[in-house]
Amino acid sequence: MNQVVFYFLSAVILVFSLLTVTSSRILRAAVYLLFVLIATAGIYFLLGYNFLAGVQLTLYAGGIIVLIIFAIMLTGSAGEKLERPSLNKFLLAILISLIGTVTSLILFFAYHSFPVIGNEIPATVKMVGASLINPGDNGYVLPFELISVLLLAAIVGAIVIAKKATR
Amino acid sequence: MNLNDFIIMRHELLLTTVIIILLIAEVFSIFEKGEKSISEFSFGIEMFAILLFLIITLVGFVPSGRGMLFGGMYQTDEIRILMKNILNIGTLIILFQSVSYLRKNENKEKSTEFILLLFSTLLGMNFMVSSGDFLMFYLGLELATLPLAALAAFDKFKNKFSEAGIKFILLAALSSGVTLYGISMIYGTNGSIYFSDVSLTFSDEGLQILAFIFFISGLAFKISLVPFHFWAADVYEGAPVNITSYLSVISKGAAVFIFIILLYHVFPVISKEWTYLLYALSILTMTIGNLFAIRQQNLKRFLAFSSIAQAGFILLGVIGEPQLGLASVIYFVLIYVFSNLGAFGVVSAISNFSGKENMNDYNGLYQTNPKLSLVLMLSLFSLAGIPPVAGFFGKFFLFTAAAQKGFYGLVIIATLNATISLYYYLLVIKAMFINKNEQPVEYFRNDFFTRTGLLICVLGMIIIGFASFIFDGIFSMS
Amino acid sequence: MIHIPITHLISISTLMFFIGIYGFITRKNLFTILMSTELVLNAGALNFVAFNKYFYPDNLQGHFFALFIISVAAAEAALAIAIIIAIYRNFKNIDAEKINEMKY
Repeated sequence: MNQVVFYFLSAVILVFSLLTVTSSRILRAAVYLLFVLIATAGIYFLLGYNFLAGVQLTLYAGGIIVLIIFAIMLTGSAGEKLERPSLNKFLLAILISLIGTVTSLILFFAYHSFPVIGNEIPATVKMVGASLINPGDNGYVLPFELISVLLLAAIVGAIVIAKKATR
Repeated sequence: MNLNDFIIMRHELLLTTVIIILLIAEVFSIFEKGEKSISEFSFGIEMFAILLFLIITLVGFVPSGRGMLFGGMYQTDEIRILMKNILNIGTLIILFQSVSYLRKNENKEKSTEFILLLFSTLLGMNFMVSSGDFLMFYLGLELATLPLAALAAFDKFKNKFSEAGIKFILLAALSSGVTLYGISMIYGTNGSIYFSDVSLTFSDEGLQILAFIFFISGLAFKISLVPFHFWAADVYEGAPVNITSYLSVISKGAAVFIFIILLYHVFPVISKEWTYLLYALSILTMTIGNLFAIRQQNLKRFLAFSSIAQAGFILLGVIGEPQLGLASVIYFVLIYVFSNLGAFGVVSAISNFSGKENMNDYNGLYQTNPKLSLVLMLSLFSLAGIPPVAGFFGKFFLFTAAAQKGFYGLVIIATLNATISLYYYLLVIKAMFINKNEQPVEYFRNDFFTRTGLLICVLGMIIIGFASFIFDGIFSMS
Repeated sequence: MIHIPITHLISISTLMFFIGIYGFITRKNLFTILMSTELVLNAGALNFVAFNKYFYPDNLQGHFFALFIISVAAAEAALAIAIIIAIYRNFKNIDAEKINEMKY
C-alpha cells in the first residue's frame, strides 16, 4: 500500500514539476506547483513527519502559492501566454540539467559509506515544540529567534517596497 | 544566560536591541518627519541610529575570550570578534554617508526602514560569521541577503532600482537554493549539521566533493566570483550608491570571512581540491573583472567591476599559506573597507549633488573640488596598491601568502592584473587632475556627516599603511 | 518502516532540483522564475527529510532544517512578490527580458 502511494506521489511530483517549468499559461504553472508541493507534503506524511507535512501544506502550499496566485491576478497577467524560450537558452538549460542530474545520481549511487541506522526517535509535536525552545545540544532556540528577525525584516522590506507613494 | 555569555554575544544582542528600539521609535513616531526643512544637526532618527551604532562599535572592542553557546550553534573567538568589528566600522562609515541620502525629501518617510533593513543584514552577517552549524550559517546568509534586495529596490519609483532588486533577489534565491542542496548532501554523508562533527568525518569521496561545490556557490554569489559575477555589475549600478558600497564592501567582506573560516576549519581534508578550484576561480575573477572595468564609463559600474577584480586578489590569500593567508585576508579587507568606501563616498557625494556619474564629468574636478579629488585619488591609489598608501601592504601580504605556498605562476598573473588595474585607476585620476573641461562640476560643500565619513576613510588608509603593529596583531591572533 | 529504497527518494529530489534549474534558465516571466526557485528549495528540503529518516533517525536535524527552509522560502517569496509588484507599477509588464534598461 505504502509503495503504491509513494510511487503515485513521485509520479505527481515529477510530472507536475516538469509542467511547472514548461507550461505556457502562468496561472496553470502556479497550480501545477501547488500539486508538486502537496505531493511533497504527502511524502512527508508517509515518512512519519506529520508536523512537517502540516507546515508544508499550510505554509508552502497554502501560503506561498496563494500569495503567488494573488499577485498574478493583481498584475493582470493571468491570461497571458508565455513565450517559448529561445533555442540557445533551451539547449544550455537542457545541457546543464542533464549533466547535473547524471553526475549527482552517479556519485550518489557510487557512495557506499552511509551509516547504519540508529534508534529512531519519533517526531511528535511535543518533541518538535520542546526542541524549538531548547537552548542546549540539538536545541533550536537560536535559529528560531533568528528567523523571527528574518521574517520581521522581510515584512518591513516588503511593505516599504510595495506600498504606494503618499505624495 | 550569565554576564559572560552576554559579553560573548554582545555584537548580536546589542544590534537586536537597537533594531527593536528603532522599530518602537518608528511605531510611536518619536522623531518628527515631514516637510520641515531640517538643519544639519537636528536630531532625527538617523542621528539617533548613528549614536546607538557608535556605542555598539565601541563596545565591540571590549576584549573577551572565546566561547560556545547554544550547544555549539554559536561560537566565537578573537578572530571572529575582529571580523565583526571590521564590519561594524564599515557600516558606521556607510551610515555617515547615508545621512544626506536619507534627508532627501522622497526618502524622509522611509529613513527608519532603511536603517532597520541595514541593521538586520548586519545582524545576519554577524550570525553568519559566528555560526557553529550549517543551520545558523544558512539563516545568517539569508538574513544578510534578503533585506539587501529590499534596499537595492529602495528607490522603487525609478525603474532601474526595482530591476536591481528583482535581479538580486531571484539570483540570491537560486544560489542559496543550490547552497542548501549542497548542505543537504553534506548532512546526508556526514550525519550532522554541526561544523565540529562534519570536520571530523568529511572525506574526499566524489559525492562529498560535489556537495562542497554546490555548497560554496551561495558564498561565491555573495563574493561575486566569476561564474556569479554577472549579477554584480547590474545590481551595483541599479542600487542607490550607499547600498552599492555596502554590497561591494561589507556584504562581500562578511562572505569572505566565513568562507575562509569554513575552508580552514570544516573542509581542511579536501584542501587540495579547493585549492585547485580557487586557483582557477582567482585567475578568472581577476582577469574578467579587469577586462570589463577598463571599458566602463560610468564610475559606479567601474568601481563595481574593479571590486570584482579585488575579490580575485582576495582568493590569493585564501589559498595561501594558512596562518599568513588568514591574516592577510583580514588585513586586506580592513584596508579595502576604507579605500573602497572612500571612493564610493566621493562618487556618491558628486552624484547626490549633480547627478553626474560618468568619467567625462570628472574632467577638471581638481580645479573646483580639490579636497574631494584628493580623497578620491588617495582611495584609488590604495585600491591599485601604490606604495605609500595602505593598499600596497594589503596586496603585498596577499601575494606573499600565495608565494609561500609556491604558487609563483598565480602571483605573476596577479601582478600583471594589478598593473592593468593601475592603468584604469590612473585614467580616473588623469581625468580629475589633467584633463581640461569647459564645465566642470561646480564647487560644493558636503554636510558634516559625509565629511566625517570621508575623513575616517582617509585616516584609516594612512594610519594602517604606517602602523605595522596592526598586521602583527592580526597575524598573532590567527 | 516503509519499504522504499532511499535511492528512489533521492532520485526524485535530484530531478526536482534540476528541473528547477532548467526552469530558472529558460523562463522569462518573473513569476515563473520565482516558481522555479521554489522547486529548488523544495528539493533541498525533501533531501534533508529523506536523509534524516533513513540514515540518522536518532536525532531530528534534517527535519528541523526542512522546517526552517519552509519559513525562509516564505520570506523570500513575499519579498520577491513585493518587488515584482513595484516593477509592475513602473513598467506595466513583468517579463525579465523586456525590462532591460541596463545595458551589458
